[in-house]
Amino acid sequence: MTASDVKDGARSGAGTPAPPPARTPVVQRKIGWRTRLRRDRSLLIMTLPAVGLLVVFAYIPMLGNVIAWQNYSPYSGFFNSSWAGWSNFERVFSNPLFLNAVGNTLTITAFQLVFFFPVPIVLALLLNSVITPRIRTTIQSIVYLPHFFSWVLVVTLFQQIFGGAGLINQTLRAHGHQGFDLMTNPDTFLLLITMQSVWKDAGWGIIIFLAALSTVSPELYEASAVDGASRWRRMWHITLPALKPVIILLLILRLGDALTVGFEQLILQRGAVGAEVSEVIDTFVYYQGVVYGDWSFAAAAGLVKGVVSLGLVLGANKLAHVFGESGVYKRA
Amino acid sequence: MNTRTDRRLMDLQVDRRSFLGMLAAGAAVVGVPSLLSACGGSSAGPTTGYVAAGADVIPTYVPIEYAKPDFPSVNGSTPGFATLPAELVQSVPTPPGKGTAFTAMTPLWGTIPPKSGNQYYAAVDEMLGSTIDFQITDGNTYGDKLATVLASSRDVPDWVCVPTWNLPPRFGSEIVGNVFQDLTPYLGGDKVKDYPNLANIPTDAWRYCVFNGKLYGLPFPGEILTDAIFYRKDVLDGLGITPDVTSAQDLLDLAVEITDTNAGRWGTEDLWNSAAIIFAVPPKWKLDDAGKLVHRVESEEYRAALEWNASVFAAGVVHPDAVADQSGDAKQRFQSGKTLIANDGLGSWHEALRDNLASNPEFWQQPFAPFAGDGGTPVLFKGNPANIFSFLKKSDDEARIKELLSLADVLAAPFGTTEFDVVNNGVEGVHFTRDDQGMPVPTDLAATELQPTYIFLVDGPIANTRVQYPGYVEASSTWQAAASEFVTEPVFFGQQISEPQQYASIAQPFVDLEKDISRGRKSLSDLDSAIATWKSAGGDELRTFYQDILDKQ
Repeated sequence: MTASDVKDGARSGAGTPAPPPARTPVVQRKIGWRTRLRRDRSLLIMTLPAVGLLVVFAYIPMLGNVIAWQNYSPYSGFFNSSWAGWSNFERVFSNPLFLNAVGNTLTITAFQLVFFFPVPIVLALLLNSVITPRIRTTIQSIVYLPHFFSWVLVVTLFQQIFGGAGLINQTLRAHGHQGFDLMTNPDTFLLLITMQSVWKDAGWGIIIFLAALSTVSPELYEASAVDGASRWRRMWHITLPALKPVIILLLILRLGDALTVGFEQLILQRGAVGAEVSEVIDTFVYYQGVVYGDWSFAAAAGLVKGVVSLGLVLGANKLAHVFGESGVYKRA
Repeated sequence: MNTRTDRRLMDLQVDRRSFLGMLAAGAAVVGVPSLLSACGGSSAGPTTGYVAAGADVIPTYVPIEYAKPDFPSVNGSTPGFATLPAELVQSVPTPPGKGTAFTAMTPLWGTIPPKSGNQYYAAVDEMLGSTIDFQITDGNTYGDKLATVLASSRDVPDWVCVPTWNLPPRFGSEIVGNVFQDLTPYLGGDKVKDYPNLANIPTDAWRYCVFNGKLYGLPFPGEILTDAIFYRKDVLDGLGITPDVTSAQDLLDLAVEITDTNAGRWGTEDLWNSAAIIFAVPPKWKLDDAGKLVHRVESEEYRAALEWNASVFAAGVVHPDAVADQSGDAKQRFQSGKTLIANDGLGSWHEALRDNLASNPEFWQQPFAPFAGDGGTPVLFKGNPANIFSFLKKSDDEARIKELLSLADVLAAPFGTTEFDVVNNGVEGVHFTRDDQGMPVPTDLAATELQPTYIFLVDGPIANTRVQYPGYVEASSTWQAAASEFVTEPVFFGQQISEPQQYASIAQPFVDLEKDISRGRKSLSDLDSAIATWKSAGGDELRTFYQDILDKQ
């Protein structure tokens, strides 16, 4: 439901006599903001708790970003820490470790966008084609389950299976074959973490797609089947268009998180493959800020990340509009 | 990266003395985390550097002995008691407390004991005459909690335990003076004689509690040697191998000999900390022949240790899970015989006996006698004189501070006193019973109620009192006495130096580099470039900073 839908609903709900089916901005401009305020009052009041939460837990803490321009110390506080100008940002951009972290982050995001993002969609389509409800729920439960495991457990499981002393290697050795070590090879690390992500979260990711699929009217399939559409054509012309808005929405949200890639997952495996391939922006900020107490420097790095992420979301949203989708939000 | 070590710390079940193993792990994170432990701030106001303590600051040492050690201290080694004294002495005759309720914050590596109806708390509090209400936090995340609590001085409990490896950045420069009570007027010089058990704590441990020239902390004294290289003697005996290791090459040869991957058995854990011991890598600085300071990462010893450790990994004798840096399970692998050589804290020795003797009566781990990498004379660096401190919240109420110190006096009672017995073993008949040899046997209730709490506030001089494991005290004491011959004090030993904040993170790349080079992902030429980066990022300035301190001494 878009914002204008909501507005229309409110209008009819308020019992305004015969509103024109106008969605055109022209009409909206005619109504003064006071009138609109009065008209939408109850709706606005309903948003207050959410706005309050946002203000307290998102906007006010955001003011703390000021430390990126300070030599901040928690014991001196915001007001007594000295100002540093842009020097923290200069340090961030001239730090080879930060640039390495950015590089790794982007590589991981790009790789996972191609090899992880589509997996839940495919899974959902497959699952949707399973007719027997019992089999379907069983499969669903099994693929959901790993989502509830912590990363520590996931990494340990992988180590027990693929590690140098793991199940596969010991079996190989017992049969006189050379073992391999997936867990400590920096070259295949990208593959490894993607495998882990898929195993852990792909099942969880299908929920939204399944929900979208359930809204597709069976009559459409029946009608097309009557018209002689093949299975493939039904998928192409009915299922995928039905999923498209959800896919685009999730893609945009994912892009907003593009610079956030598995913090725990990477920290846990950092020693195994080395920082050169496993350091990402989040872990960099953690080590600089929390471990070494260089709060201002870490805040500057985090802020850079935040700004880039915002740009990505806005850009992706714009792109969605270009393709005729509503995206995450749209101007009324 | 110290989180790794933290994981190792948390795996231990900690009780009195036993967590010396954990201390060792803390101490073993030499290098970068030692930067952490001596951080200063760069903003207005903070004090950095080192101020030597005046004679009236360090408490006078007045030793008392309630029980005679069977294995006396040699060159500062931990004295051992192989038997329980026949008669226990009550060192503080009447409970000194005035019935005040105090709050205290301590870490715990175990299950948090119940507060209500806890007979252990009741027994100790009765002995104290005041009550201590513990706010116990999981030891694994204690540092995080501490950083938060200390950032707001109002919320600080009356008595706060601070492990050295959890010392937050800026502790010496900004926190300690703002949040905690200066104890110099209460304990400095002869004033400590009001508290005989505190006066029994050796001078070095007190000196380490001095920040910016004032006495702030109450120490938990540390051992002169924290780490050792252990091997599974029982398993090696079974294989018919009697190790004779006198050089780094010998150790590697042994590791190769005992590795049998088809049997799922590897020679070693990650021996990086061992490599540092074998090659005498300085904890932080060393003096070269010209009297100039050389940082640990620049030293020849560091390079040699890295090179050797890389050869150990390259030989394929390190367990693959250890290669994957799953150091948290190292103990488990070692104790189950999947690996046969491992570095660990000395205090882990009796813990291993406690955890394994029941299921495997043959279990015995033994430390190698000290040896040097090239087969020459070993050099062992003395451990921190204290690894855990506690601090009292700043207060204008003199009587309150004095009352707290009188409670500390009770808790610092040494082996051979009733106080020590109650704090460690609880109440006879409730928390332990005695076997036919008079040894205390813990009851089930002890496992829930008798968790280490009071001991994190202050402790008497170190002593090995684990009489219940046959042969252990003797083996440990004689090993340490023999090793003590090679112990030397590193530069800046026992000094709390507050470093300017901007140098806090410059050594971070080395933590990763140590793992990278060991595992063959990087080479020693990467070390050269890392050293060059370190120098230009502030390493040389840091050297000047320390050189100034050294010149003034």
